[in-house]
Amino acid sequence: MANSLIIGQYVPTDSLVHRLDPRTKIIIIFLFVIFIFFANNALSYGWLALFAVASAVATKIKLKFIARGLTPVWFLIIFTFILHLFVTREGPVLFEIIGFPIYSGAIIQGFAISLRFFLLILVTSLMTLTTTPIEITDAIESLLHPLKKIKFPVHELALMMSISLRFIPTLMQETEKISKAQASRGVDFKTGPIKDRIHAVVPLLVPLFVSAFKRAEELAMAMEARGYQGGEGRTKLRELTIAKLDWLAFLSFSCVLIGLFLLRQ
Amino acid sequence: MSKQSSQLLKLIILALLGTISMVLLFLNFPLPFLPPYLKVDFGEVPTLLAALIFSPMAGVVVQLIKNLLYLIFTGAADPVGVFANFVAGVTFVVPISMIYHKYKGDNSLLSGLVVGTVIMTFSMGILNYYVLLPIYSVFMGMDDLSSGALLGTIMVGVIPFNLIKGFIVSVLFVPLFIKLKPWIKQKQAIFNS
Repeated sequence: MANSLIIGQYVPTDSLVHRLDPRTKIIIIFLFVIFIFFANNALSYGWLALFAVASAVATKIKLKFIARGLTPVWFLIIFTFILHLFVTREGPVLFEIIGFPIYSGAIIQGFAISLRFFLLILVTSLMTLTTTPIEITDAIESLLHPLKKIKFPVHELALMMSISLRFIPTLMQETEKISKAQASRGVDFKTGPIKDRIHAVVPLLVPLFVSAFKRAEELAMAMEARGYQGGEGRTKLRELTIAKLDWLAFLSFSCVLIGLFLLRQ
Repeated sequence: MSKQSSQLLKLIILALLGTISMVLLFLNFPLPFLPPYLKVDFGEVPTLLAALIFSPMAGVVVQLIKNLLYLIFTGAADPVGVFANFVAGVTFVVPISMIYHKYKGDNSLLSGLVVGTVIMTFSMGILNYYVLLPIYSVFMGMDDLSSGALLGTIMVGVIPFNLIKGFIVSVLFVPLFIKLKPWIKQKQAIFNS
């Protein structure tokens, strides 16, 4: 659990998808999520599935890791399929399961919807598999930049996100340390009635909050001492640049979209 | 303390509270008699603390950070659920902190918790009816969910869940707040001076 929180789902391999600008990935995935709803026949679904699988292969990430990211949603995908099996009534009856007639349309419909679901989750999970949380934060800051015009504090939000990301492992360890310290004094977090378990969390939270404030004071002082004055004129360690590779990605994704509109009915 | 540095300190504190919120999200446990996608967690506790120490807006910021972190880490598998969690947190925390800042004192916190739970439950019911459940049904390809089925899901799942969630967070928060109160007063004094 601690590990999955520190790096998220990121799997480092040296692939073209990893080298794409995180903004490119966000935009393409966002468009994919919208345009997948335009697919309406076997060919257009197949075309989008081909794109999704090709991108997954291009990440050079082992199937094992990709499948692990999908585990929480397998249940939902299968549930969707079964739901459609029993609810949709189109086409001839194929067979019956304990008195329920199964229509041929239901199987097609169920398959199409679960496939759509699967592709959506596969493609969005490629984002976190190939991009570190800090890169995603940089991308969000850059994409939200136009909102500065309406006085939305983009820089402050990004700063808070980076600080949060930096402190996740630290506070994680701290939580573990405190809960071990409390457990050694006989506090039981895991068993017993819910009411007791809720109350066991109080002695965990008090030191956690107090130490977080202490850390915040130290960090604020350190930043001030180094001359932090807000977002104006601040330079960046990691600069995002749209390279040739990104234009190539946009170009091939437009081809995917054109193909989609040619293939759909 | 100068204005600018207290501003920066506040920013960092909110970021760290958001982090704690995110860490606590992983302590969640599903309630035994509700569907598994409705999970109770303690993520709202730091949000509530921020709103009570500073302002309702601070609570909203912490809630936003928590949900953005969650989205980044889980790979956006369920953005609608994350959005729902954000709205639930905001509709819970903002009324509580508004009541508390207006009247102060322990009783106002108690009545705030009750009002907050009711407002959260009510708004989540409406949001689920008009926005969330329809979006889910589009994703699952069930375009023809009747309003009866929607109401049923909300009555059986959403409303009891939010009531219980509000209740559990309140049961946890009251003893926590009593313990932290002198310390909170001290921190508020620093920021108001």
